[in-house]
Amino acid sequence: MQAAVVHPGDIEKALASPLARREIARADVDAVILPSATLTPAQRVSVYQNMYLLRMEEALGSDYPGLKHFLGDDAFFSLVRDYVQVHPSRSYTLNRLGDKLPDFVAVAPDVRRRDFCADLARLERALSQVFDAPETKALDASAIDAVAPEAWETARLTPIAAFRLLALRYPASAYMDTLDDEQHRHPPARRRDTYVAVYRREYSVYRHDLARGAHDLLADLVAGKPLGRAVAAALRRGGRKRPQPDDLFRWFRQWVAAGIFARVDL
Amino acid sequence: MSNRWNLPDLGIGVGLRTVHFPHILSARPQVEWFEVLSENFMDTEGRPLRVLDQVVERYPIALHGVSLSIGSTDPLDFEYLKKLKALAGRTRAHWVSDHLCWTGVMGRNVHDLLPMPYSEEALAHTIARVRTVSEVLERPLVLENPSSYVEFAQSTMREWEFLARLAEDSDCGLLLDVNNVYVSAFNHGFDANAYIDALPADRVVQYHLAGHTHMGTHIVDTHSDHARPEVWELYARSVARTGLVSTLYEWDEDIPEFDVVLAEARKAAAYRAALAAPPALAAAR
Repeated sequence: MQAAVVHPGDIEKALASPLARREIARADVDAVILPSATLTPAQRVSVYQNMYLLRMEEALGSDYPGLKHFLGDDAFFSLVRDYVQVHPSRSYTLNRLGDKLPDFVAVAPDVRRRDFCADLARLERALSQVFDAPETKALDASAIDAVAPEAWETARLTPIAAFRLLALRYPASAYMDTLDDEQHRHPPARRRDTYVAVYRREYSVYRHDLARGAHDLLADLVAGKPLGRAVAAALRRGGRKRPQPDDLFRWFRQWVAAGIFARVDL
Repeated sequence: MSNRWNLPDLGIGVGLRTVHFPHILSARPQVEWFEVLSENFMDTEGRPLRVLDQVVERYPIALHGVSLSIGSTDPLDFEYLKKLKALAGRTRAHWVSDHLCWTGVMGRNVHDLLPMPYSEEALAHTIARVRTVSEVLERPLVLENPSSYVEFAQSTMREWEFLARLAEDSDCGLLLDVNNVYVSAFNHGFDANAYIDALPADRVVQYHLAGHTHMGTHIVDTHSDHARPEVWELYARSVARTGLVSTLYEWDEDIPEFDVVLAEARKAAAYRAALAAPPALAAAR
């Protein structure tokens, strides 16, 4: 029965599929499922089959509203149908169903503007992860002030659990900004490197667009690089757009104020 | 009559749904209890759990799951049970319920409440699993009768007989969804009253009420509307057998304002009041 329920084709094809035939051995569906006064056994199974994809679409549409909006309802439904054939739920929770959707989209042959969609999916996946991540107390300004100036050179910073850093090749975050625009005034899905920090504070999820230099510095810090080395690397990078020391201080103050660091190890 | 575990009659409640979070936290509505969908809170430490903690401070709670898959031939998921037990402790849940169904086999989960064949073999299999789950949770498991759209040729007994024997032999409680009884009775052509009358009344610890959608050839349990009068009649019939039992209204599609759901749930009060003060007793006063 399960093989028929999850089959993407019509019910007759579903019941004739090799998996369904294996589940019900050599017996005909009519010998396994009773008819009702109004429905044949196949029609009765199709009630479950019809609801299956709708349920998968609802779950993934909830986690990927931007991707669904960009593709449109029909194309998104087709994507879901194909995705759950390859990556069906194997968990008690639907929260994990979409874990592999960004990678799936990245190689899906029938998705328009595939690379943009893959970035959009990566961003939305990060938003979901941050939404559910463990709650960790953020460092406040007093903890930062308590660090002796000479100790910062070797200090290492740990981000809160509800934090993700993304380097994208398309303006996915800008697209998400316009998701509720009823006039559909979305930024063009053209190739442009963008950088985003996603984090949760006071149980609300935020996206913060970053300059390239800020992203690289933050990436070094969350990877565990000592602050002194991370700053030195930031000041060496970037060519004409090389950040200035004032930029680094400003960024650091913003990140602390946003509460994205949980710990400083000296 | 009270249930055999003396689990409390919590009164009339509604299902806790995300769209109602702001209203519940700000307006603190006069509702007697909430039923919480377990899986929505087992893998998050974000806002949903924070809201649940606040709800628990003000209202009694029961947990209701959809992924136990008690009838599956796959092994029980003990990681799931561990999380469920932790959530029950955190929320001080009065009981933990799920459905008489399977949700998948061979490691897959279709996230639907698939019906079981009602055979002796399936009964023995399910009894053993219910006992294990109750031991792990350290409390009696409560199982809900499902709504269903297929019946298996290999079934040798009716659903109510299966459920009654399962309850007695595994010592589990029953969550009687009278809308599900009505839906399945139509879909399978059995007598809903016979179903209600056959269940062991002292094992019913909770009722579910909900709306459904009539498709002409069959009825789908959509939880998208007010309950039909026929469903309320079934509720009245069952309450007369069980006495005052915690009653909950489910609304999961096209969810209206909280007060609309609560008003629908409160229709149960008339049936409960009639039971609390029987006409003969009132006349004797």
